[in-house]
Amino acid sequence: MKHSGLQREVLALYRTCLRESRKKPANTRLHFESYARTEFDKSIGLDKKDFGAIEYLLRKGQRQLEMYSAPGIKDIR
Amino acid sequence: MAALRTTSRLFAATRPVFKSQTRAMATVMGTAKTGVVSPSKTTTAKEPAADADSKIKTFHIYRWNPDEPSTKPRMQSYTLDLNKTGPMMLDALIRIKNEVDPTLTFRRSCREGICGSCAMNIDGVNTLACLCRIPTDTKQESKIYPLPHTYVVKDIVPDLTQFYKQYKSIKPYLQKTTPAPNGKEYLQSKEERKKLDGLYECILCACCSTSCPSYWWNSEEYLGPAVLMQSYRWIADSRDENKEERKAQLDNSMSLYRCHTILNCSRTCPKGLNPGKAIAEIKKEMAF
Amino acid sequence: MASIVRPTLLRQSCLKAASKHAFSTKPAATFPAINRPAASVLSKQVMPGSMRVAAFHASGRKLILPPLPPNEAAKVPEPSPSHGSYHWTFERLVSVGLVPLTIAPFAAGSLNPLTDAILCGAILIHSHIGFESIITDYIPRKRLPKTRKLFDWGLKLATVVVGVGLYEFETNDVGLTEGIKKIWTA
Repeated sequence: MKHSGLQREVLALYRTCLRESRKKPANTRLHFESYARTEFDKSIGLDKKDFGAIEYLLRKGQRQLEMYSAPGIKDIR
Repeated sequence: MAALRTTSRLFAATRPVFKSQTRAMATVMGTAKTGVVSPSKTTTAKEPAADADSKIKTFHIYRWNPDEPSTKPRMQSYTLDLNKTGPMMLDALIRIKNEVDPTLTFRRSCREGICGSCAMNIDGVNTLACLCRIPTDTKQESKIYPLPHTYVVKDIVPDLTQFYKQYKSIKPYLQKTTPAPNGKEYLQSKEERKKLDGLYECILCACCSTSCPSYWWNSEEYLGPAVLMQSYRWIADSRDENKEERKAQLDNSMSLYRCHTILNCSRTCPKGLNPGKAIAEIKKEMAF
Repeated sequence: MASIVRPTLLRQSCLKAASKHAFSTKPAATFPAINRPAASVLSKQVMPGSMRVAAFHASGRKLILPPLPPNEAAKVPEPSPSHGSYHWTFERLVSVGLVPLTIAPFAAGSLNPLTDAILCGAILIHSHIGFESIITDYIPRKRLPKTRKLFDWGLKLATVVVGVGLYEFETNDVGLTEGIKKIWTA
């Protein structure tokens, strides 16, 4: 299936989230992964043509990712 | 901002106490007020006119809640009696937040035009709410929007991350390697100091940058009037020794030369500064 | 910006602190009062009055928040004076030079093929720079790289075509100044 640009951006964000969680301690990595998953699941019901909302959530996700990928953060609940 | 948010959460528990107090006070003082109107139920939150000579003015305020990203932003109307409100727009906003709708979100801090927090678009002009008088003409309705062409965080709170990042990129601090001749401090003559007048007063409220069409189109690369004026503030400083690097940093097609002397910046500056002139001075210095 | 995530972080660290103390069952005896800010609430009954005061004043040397990621500065592009200051100076010189060049032939009344050629060249460069500026303003390379490339090459082509046209007009026809004069009086 071919994805639109926005869809690709969302997938890329999720992928970076998972990639960043690799850098966390092994015993808490699952926490980060499940956190990313729940964050994405929260807006799974969004209309796929609601570009404004999706773009906003992408920006928000980017910021959260930036925050949580800091090396000082070891665990998440 | 982050700190603000956490403290507000901490205070959330005590808020009802305050509210009942103000309401009790209000009845004592004879200014009858009805209960808080839920903003989700109505679009217009009205303050009942108590006396005949009250000056009721309507404010239309941009509302958008990030917790419901799929709902479109909307305008909400509030009416206030100007006789009971302070003279400035910020007074009106604070009064709406205190007495009518606590969900209204805006930044404010010093309420005297020195912090630059309350920059917003009021009646089509970017300005500081604390320095903008409420027009006393009650027939005219005031419209309040966030700064144009910014990502909105909530209601009239804009996201200025890019603006601050750009400010950081010009290294806004004194760069000097040689020690002071008297071993204590770097001295300036009166003439040298005079060059910085009209530059150092900038409070970085982002009113000018967000009023600049060039900055609207190219905010990723063009630095915008506020940051360029600060850049000039350090280029013009007699004590700074990194002038050439500072100029080289601007020497490309995007950073500086996207300025087309539209001069919205100088017209809108709430502090009465002239970023347009500062940019022209940079161009002049770079040209010869 | 940070507000979206910070409160949760704060709560976490609070929780962590609280749980750590909850697990230690004999706080009053083993730990000095300085290390027990939160435990004072749990063990108020077993503590003597003086120690309670000490616990109230002492705050544990715990980092409440982990260090935030540095707010990075915007990227500074490479200096290129040929697109920056030289470009600007050249643009201004051409613009200023155009004023006498346009007035001179009509004021003097004489037709010189050399001034005509210079005028044509200056107009060509001036309009090329002008259109280029419009393209850089409205078609950002970051967002629309392909469109930008198309327009850049389109502009180059247009300039060449206009240049050839003006050359033909100059060599095979009456020339620019004479042409305008004729149209003006026609």
